[in-house]
Amino acid sequence: MSDYAIGIKELDDAIGGIRKGSNIMLIGPPMSGKEAILNYIMYHGAVENENAVITVTTRESAAHILDWFKENMLNLPMERIGIIDCVTKTLGGAAIENENIKIASSPVDLTGIGVKISQFFEEFFMKKNTQKIQLHINSLSTILMYSNIQTVFRFLHVFTGRIKAASALGIYVIESGMHDEQAVATLKQLFDGMIEIKSEEDKNFIRVVGISQKPTPWFEYEIQGYNIKIIRGN
Amino acid sequence: MVETGIPKLDEFLGGGIPKGKSLVFYSQPGVEGEIFGLQTVHQTLKKGGICVFVVSSTIPDIVKGQFKEFGWDINLYKDKLFFVDSYNPLIGAPSNEKYVILNPDNIEDFNKTIIDIIKELPPSTIVFGSLSTIMDLCGEKETIETVRTWNKMAMLYDHVLVYNFTAWPYSEETLNLIKGDLFNSVISIGGIAERVIFGQYFGILKSDWAQITRKSMLFRVLRPGGVKIFIPKILVTGPFDAGKSTFVHALSTRAISVDRLGTTIAMDHGHVDYKGFSADIFGTPGQERFDPIIKLLSSESMGVFLVVDSTNPSDFIRAKQMLDITKSYGLPYVVVANKQDLPGALTPEEIREQFHLPDDVPIVPAVAKDKIGVYEAFEVLIDRITGGI
Repeated sequence: MSDYAIGIKELDDAIGGIRKGSNIMLIGPPMSGKEAILNYIMYHGAVENENAVITVTTRESAAHILDWFKENMLNLPMERIGIIDCVTKTLGGAAIENENIKIASSPVDLTGIGVKISQFFEEFFMKKNTQKIQLHINSLSTILMYSNIQTVFRFLHVFTGRIKAASALGIYVIESGMHDEQAVATLKQLFDGMIEIKSEEDKNFIRVVGISQKPTPWFEYEIQGYNIKIIRGN
Repeated sequence: MVETGIPKLDEFLGGGIPKGKSLVFYSQPGVEGEIFGLQTVHQTLKKGGICVFVVSSTIPDIVKGQFKEFGWDINLYKDKLFFVDSYNPLIGAPSNEKYVILNPDNIEDFNKTIIDIIKELPPSTIVFGSLSTIMDLCGEKETIETVRTWNKMAMLYDHVLVYNFTAWPYSEETLNLIKGDLFNSVISIGGIAERVIFGQYFGILKSDWAQITRKSMLFRVLRPGGVKIFIPKILVTGPFDAGKSTFVHALSTRAISVDRLGTTIAMDHGHVDYKGFSADIFGTPGQERFDPIIKLLSSESMGVFLVVDSTNPSDFIRAKQMLDITKSYGLPYVVVANKQDLPGALTPEEIREQFHLPDDVPIVPAVAKDKIGVYEAFEVLIDRITGGI
């Protein structure tokens, strides 16, 4: 039994699970279903593996994410869920913190985001005694819109290190085609592997690189409700 | 003098920050350092001073909301508090503030506005919400040179400059300058980590006007309330008759034990003040029937001493079990190899082997009854807790 898993059986079988302390990039073109995949990993991690999941959201509000699960009739174990909302406050919305939601003041406020991440880590690890924690950041692309690559690199350098120290799992979403090659290559140094998504002729494919000895084959997938269904490997 | 309003800090600084001086709050990423700048703003206003707050990483309205969260009503000081907005222009939004930095990625733009403020306003407290954000946008070297100018100008015009800075992994040169000669005073704000950060402290790294107190204070941030000092709890555990009570008494400036017929049945309690660190020490009973008490006591502790009788390896299994009870909370710990004066005492390395302890766990040889090794053990544990300041 491995420490962490994606939750999509075909992929997990191919990579044999994810080692603790790993940092993984989830990269794919816009509209290819990265959000659904990330939500799926979150649900699987929290429900099946009983991990705590901390999600930093720079694109959608915390309420929006929780609604998605409600709409799909999925019950999240809220005692193991933490969301850091970097959107609501800058939009002028009413942003109230509670046990599950912490509010960062903006996607530029990396110091503030860092503080909130550390606080959730402490709450899960020390107070709730949950040893396995996943940190999802959705997305680095938004953060990169406001801060330059060196700034984001320094931020990630610190937090990928903390993931290792805490034997946690980090997943970082990035849009392919939005940043120059060099920026992506710079960030790649910080990651142990990546979940890669591509779209071809209206079909979506997914594979994992860097976790197992060889990249997994490309699996064609479809999003059915909340489920990520693998159609076939090629 | 400008006060920070942070308990103990003003005292350590000899009353506060004198006019014309600069101070940086140098925070490790992930700890709540930004509140220090906010609290200084509020304290200045409360004492009748004028304040300028430079907002770089969010819109000024959100910062105003943060004051409110801490229970500080800044509306009382409307004519004495000014904001410099360098965030709205960054995201292309209009600003309502008196001072706006139109090109926040251009240090010259910053420079012009800040110099104007320094010349225009009577002696004030100018607080930078995030120097690191300015540096990220304008470049490390450029920002440092400009800050140097501001600090000199502030001296001429009797302002106090306060900067919040998050110590991301910038170049060593940059970090050394910031900790070194760039500011008159450096306050370090750090986190206590063992796998995760679970406590925060501050201490004075440098101050050119006050005699430095080498003291670190643990703090918590309360909303409302702001920065509050708290005294950490350190746990002393170990098997029956390992010498825990003796250890607690040897280490403490004052201590009491709740015991019956010479063995501890509830706990030992002591207080230690050593090398600027103060802590409450709790000793647990060693007998198995009191294990629930260990759980209870360890829940809020910052670190653990595991005291073992070096002459009694048969007890190591029990010691390990007791450690597991406390370690389930992920605390830093130090093994105290007690009774080193007795014949047949194992060396720390032999204990490491028999115990299967990882190499990075410190084992300190001690004779608690003669106070040998107890302060060494305390220093090693504090070092583990603070990661060495």
